[in-house]
Amino acid sequence: MTRILIAALAGAWAVGTLAAQDTFKTRLSPTPIDAQLAPTVTGHGSISAVLTGAKLTINGTFEDMRSGATAAHLYQSKVIGVPGVAIHDLTVSKAMAGTVSGSVDLTPPQADALRKGLLYVVVHSEGAPDGNLRGWLLK
Amino acid sequence: MKIPAIFPVALITACGLAILFAQQRPAGPYTAAQATAGRAVYQTNCASCHAADLSGREGPQLAGANFLSQWGDRTIGELVNFMQSTMPPGGASLGGDAYVNLAAFILDANSAQAGNQALAAASGVTIRSVAPGQRAAYLQPGGAATAQQAKQEKQGKQEKQTPRGITVAGEVKNYTPVTDAMLRNPDPGDWLMIRRDYKANYFSPLNQITTQNVNDLRLVWSWSMQDGAILGNQPAPIVHNGVLYVNNNGGVLQALDAKSGELIWENRYGTNPGWPAMRGITIYGDNVYLATNQAHLMAFNARNGRVVWDTTIGDRSKGEHSTTSGPLAVKGKLIQGLGACATYREEKCFISAYDAKTGKELWRFKTVALDGEPGGDTWGGLANIFRAGAESWITGSYDPDLNLTYWGTAQAKPWMRASRGSGNGATLYANSTLALNADTGKLVWYYDHAPGETLDLDEVFERVLVDDQGQSYVFSSGKTGILWKLDRKTGKYLGHKEMVFQNVYDSYNPATGEPHYRNDIVEQRIGEWIPGCPSTEGGKNWPAMSYYQPANRLIVPLSQSCLEFSAQPVEKVEGGGTGGGARPRYFEMPGSNGNVGKLASYDVRTLREVWKYEQRAPFLTGVLSTAGGVAFVGDLNRMLRAFDANTGRILWETRLPAAVQGFPLTFAVGGKQYFAVTTANGGGSPRNVPRLLDTDVHGPETGNALYVFALPDRK
Repeated sequence: MTRILIAALAGAWAVGTLAAQDTFKTRLSPTPIDAQLAPTVTGHGSISAVLTGAKLTINGTFEDMRSGATAAHLYQSKVIGVPGVAIHDLTVSKAMAGTVSGSVDLTPPQADALRKGLLYVVVHSEGAPDGNLRGWLLK
Repeated sequence: MKIPAIFPVALITACGLAILFAQQRPAGPYTAAQATAGRAVYQTNCASCHAADLSGREGPQLAGANFLSQWGDRTIGELVNFMQSTMPPGGASLGGDAYVNLAAFILDANSAQAGNQALAAASGVTIRSVAPGQRAAYLQPGGAATAQQAKQEKQGKQEKQTPRGITVAGEVKNYTPVTDAMLRNPDPGDWLMIRRDYKANYFSPLNQITTQNVNDLRLVWSWSMQDGAILGNQPAPIVHNGVLYVNNNGGVLQALDAKSGELIWENRYGTNPGWPAMRGITIYGDNVYLATNQAHLMAFNARNGRVVWDTTIGDRSKGEHSTTSGPLAVKGKLIQGLGACATYREEKCFISAYDAKTGKELWRFKTVALDGEPGGDTWGGLANIFRAGAESWITGSYDPDLNLTYWGTAQAKPWMRASRGSGNGATLYANSTLALNADTGKLVWYYDHAPGETLDLDEVFERVLVDDQGQSYVFSSGKTGILWKLDRKTGKYLGHKEMVFQNVYDSYNPATGEPHYRNDIVEQRIGEWIPGCPSTEGGKNWPAMSYYQPANRLIVPLSQSCLEFSAQPVEKVEGGGTGGGARPRYFEMPGSNGNVGKLASYDVRTLREVWKYEQRAPFLTGVLSTAGGVAFVGDLNRMLRAFDANTGRILWETRLPAAVQGFPLTFAVGGKQYFAVTTANGGGSPRNVPRLLDTDVHGPETGNALYVFALPDRK
């Protein structure tokens, strides 16, 4: 009987854990451009991110950049669409096309920010060191 | 304060050196002919983004201190190379010597002196060494061109000038004068004004074309229209008693047989091919009426196209007043808005009424409140002379029962508070709905949608009058993409709906609807980049919404893009001012998945979004819904579509040769329903922003035309 109870609790925990999984996605697109920046700041991509407990797993691809990626970061903003500050490093292909990924342990406030749409991914490049591609993670 | 004796000496010496330096500044390495040629290239290809006077709009300023601070230390060759590699945005290229001539014009506009040496593309001359960065006199409002430029322009105009007046003579047979009763209750087969009726419902009671048969639509006839205007070609043809009247670029008015497409008469009343086709003409009594972008209000005999009268709206001698939309005919009057009121001058923007028979001005309502007037204390203490903007560049609507005419106004100018100097003042009556007595022009009520607007987010667009369950509403939406619901008797706020994502407001007063800007927007400073969604493209822009009466819903064409905006200093001098004054940088709207275009339907009672359709290309026509259950709309990607007005399902689509742009209409001749739409080029933010963000959407540079569709005849 005890074993059954433990198994039931474990099952419930697993179900609860699975239920706590949240998925987010975004399209990566150029950071703010004018005609002067447009020839340099190009490209697009997509990101999906899964929050399981406190762990956020990020996977995505990008292409059509004019210069090679140099870094990628997870940022947190106060308002969707308004730039904020970098909170975690991500792994990125050092190329004009490739992948971006990372596994990040979020603090409770960061997880809350994610659910409010306030976390975003930035891919930096040689031609746009302050940010080439960007996308807010939304449900 | 005691001034040391040496100070005057130093001042005189400094002034002397400055004069000497100015005198010694070498002639620019370009010729006057190059500058003149560059000016023509500029007006055709660049003015829509950078403004006709190079003061900047979506594109940065190209004449003045801001230009010099950015380019002064670089060479002319770098400027040519930059323009060659980036301009115009979107991948198109200007041929021949266009870029070199453009550089010559830009130098000239920054007060460089033309010489005998022709400019070379690889010139290593530093811009600052030849151009002091003062805006050339001919760029000032009312400023005259130099004698040589004037002569060359005159020659150019003579060369380009098309025949004036009646170029095709004809007579509309059996013309029936349009009465007030017809305007109040239009014949279902007629289309007498922009958006069809006084209430701007953009809905037709015609029901032959239905959700069941719209897929059978066939092209009946088409008509090539004048090309050439980059400032925005958004035609709104009208139809009365089987005759279609259409205004073209360059000031060309035509009457066509609406059934066959046969030209009846043509009047080439304009002389400049760069004039855009205005957003509306109207017909009343015996005349067709229109306004020109030179701020002329004109009456043409509807039977034969002859000019009946021509009057100027306001005083254009001290500023470039303009118009981009036509008048509203009400009880013997033409009620007309005004645009391009950015100049620091005594005469402010206004809405005015004219005698339809004579063109005599009857009343005028000034849209800028001055010191000592109601609302005059909302400009942050700004001197009257520097209060500008509040244009009314979209035709208003009218409630015959209340005898009120409803108009939207644009934002104060320059765009951003930091440039404007108006502090956090509301800047009345900018960005408001105005309800005016149609007989007197007296203000009955106003509602300020965006007090102290600061990101070029106009609230100027159409006012849609809706009656539901005994209530009288006026709906509107500005560039914020917020749908506003007001009581049109009193102006009381009744609700709002964010139709696209916005982040410029962080809260609303629940009782009044007054929005509150984010604090960083309120605290903006010159040169600081301020992010905001939507962008100047607008959540909502000039493409008009439709009130689909059978379902009691609005169908709204929307756009999804964002920007960063940086306020630039704007010198406070009489005759100065700008319709821009900020640098923009654009980006895709978060959550849009790159879909700039959005078409959505909203329930009038609840403001709930009933359906939506999103796509990469922005919509560039008004939405026309019909009693047949169909909603027509066109887009930048040349697609013309018919949607099920109830569900948003695509029922029919066809691809036209150029962007589908303007105000579609439907009419009937001989008991048969027709649908007409225009393709067109040119325009402000709705065309310029997609050039940066929708670079995968391509279209031709030409292709202005009118297309008329109908169902096949039954056999």
